[in-house]
Amino acid sequence: MDRIILGVLNGISFGSILFLLGSGLSLILGVMGILNLTHGALYMIAAYVGWTLAIQCKLNFWLAVLGGGLAASLLGFLIERGFLRRLYKQMNEQVLVTFGFVHLLTNLTLWTWGTTLRAPYTSPFLSTSIPIMGWSYPISRVSIILIGLVLAAVLWWLQEKTRIGAMIRAGMDNKQMTMGLGVNVDKVSGAVFLFGSFMAGFAGVIGSQILGPHLEMGIDILLMSLIVVVVGGMGSVQGALLGGMLIGLIDALGKIFFPEMAMFTMYLAMMIILLVRPHGLLGRKE
Amino acid sequence: MEGPRQGRLLRALPYVGTAFILAVLPLVLSQYLQSMMTKFFIFAIFAMSLDLIFGYVGLISMGHAAFFGIAGYTCGILIVKYGIESFWIAAPCGILMAGLLAAVFGVFAFRVSGIYFLLVTFALGELLYSAATKWYSMTGGSYGLGGIPPPNLGLTWLEWDATSFYYFAFIVLAVCFFLLYRFIHSPFGHALQGIREHEARMECLGYDVWFYKYVAFVISALFAGVAGVLFGHFNGLIAPMHLGIATSALGMLMVIIGSAGTLFGPVIGAGVIIFVEHYAGILTPARWPLIIGAVFIISVLYFRAGIGVYLSKIWKRL
Repeated sequence: MDRIILGVLNGISFGSILFLLGSGLSLILGVMGILNLTHGALYMIAAYVGWTLAIQCKLNFWLAVLGGGLAASLLGFLIERGFLRRLYKQMNEQVLVTFGFVHLLTNLTLWTWGTTLRAPYTSPFLSTSIPIMGWSYPISRVSIILIGLVLAAVLWWLQEKTRIGAMIRAGMDNKQMTMGLGVNVDKVSGAVFLFGSFMAGFAGVIGSQILGPHLEMGIDILLMSLIVVVVGGMGSVQGALLGGMLIGLIDALGKIFFPEMAMFTMYLAMMIILLVRPHGLLGRKE
Repeated sequence: MEGPRQGRLLRALPYVGTAFILAVLPLVLSQYLQSMMTKFFIFAIFAMSLDLIFGYVGLISMGHAAFFGIAGYTCGILIVKYGIESFWIAAPCGILMAGLLAAVFGVFAFRVSGIYFLLVTFALGELLYSAATKWYSMTGGSYGLGGIPPPNLGLTWLEWDATSFYYFAFIVLAVCFFLLYRFIHSPFGHALQGIREHEARMECLGYDVWFYKYVAFVISALFAGVAGVLFGHFNGLIAPMHLGIATSALGMLMVIIGSAGTLFGPVIGAGVIIFVEHYAGILTPARWPLIIGAVFIISVLYFRAGIGVYLSKIWKRL
């Protein structure tokens, strides 16, 4: 029973990370029609940058988080402006170009940081544990859950209650009309991409408390984020949250009960959703 | 004046010429280069099969390697785990498995289109990848299925070395090319191109678009299976990566570089990629992902039409 509770907590904390990534991916897909496979690579690079800042430069952890996020958004900005701009709605090309960037970025990361596995790192403040049901549970994971929930609330508020959110939602539903109403959709989507990339970077450093930076991160986490976006639904924060939690729980509980089948189950879920309800559980209908 | 007979001969010339050159090439190439060419032939088949649904029907699939890999795995498992000796039994089983997978998957996959089709084909590839990685007892897990011997064709005089693999792959490629060529230029093939151009119009004309797409999908899977079976024998090893997006994306890149929608284009694309891979492997093995990443990006952005289109323009002007 204890294992289940711990598993659930692990699942929720991992789910928070997936939510952060998934919401960025989902928004970018919804607003710009771009399937951004580099999202995972940005996550990975931020994790490494954060590592450099936190461990090598011995900076404050939260500065490392910020640094990672900024690095990711800078890279994302360059990729989007320089390359993805030209491929609006050309899905196949986007997939290939972003996939090319994944290879490129992974190799660059390898070049810069080498192949040694880095251990998970966190701030001294968060590296203690609290006792839960007789087990001691790391505070870092709890902080991830809390951060995730806070951000979920903030993003939801932004999406539903602010003018920017309305512009974004309108852009997703009907780009032409939104432009006709005088909204500079280009600028808005650029901002969305920037923000989404920042979130990926933020998630990268925050997530490094659980998973140390390593080179397969880029693809691993990307695949899971894709599943999150598909299952949860494109273009909505709620969808990313639901999807993130579901996938995080399947992953964590799967590791306890049927370790062989966890990934398989996730992909199966993805396929079923795509075939039965393509816009996901909570996605916006196109 | 040129009659239709001369016209046909003239059109066949580049194919015959290339075939001739490729046939005599082993006389001048080292064993190592012959192996590289063999790999090129195998991937040429894979790329052509992908071109069938991408270039000719217009469907974007990010999971084509699933068919490639499943055929290779099936054939390999039959030989290594179940002791099936003859190539003539194991290989068709592998190929049919690929076709079967496509047949079953296709029933569901065509309910969606566009990006959802892309995602669902991607999910298929990754699903098989994770199954192959976890099902250790059957597939050897992430180490892959090794120890696949050269094909047992029942020809006792045949000794397997680089040259024999070369000719074997070459013959299979030629046969596949010929079959695909006839298929593309048949009424069925023309209908597929019509679907690519304007699906709604084809529906109005009374074509059962779903059926055409489905058949093309299964056929392309069968050919991908041929490549997979060959690869298993040639490589001696089939690994989960041969089922997943890495291989699928590589195939897509070959098609795009070479020109989708032509038949020889993907062959050229396969050649380019294998060639680049070879030289990158020699000069900077650590930087290979970087190079292939750059190739992806540059070719999609700048060479979208592909080399094949360019070449056929030159040929027409001659």
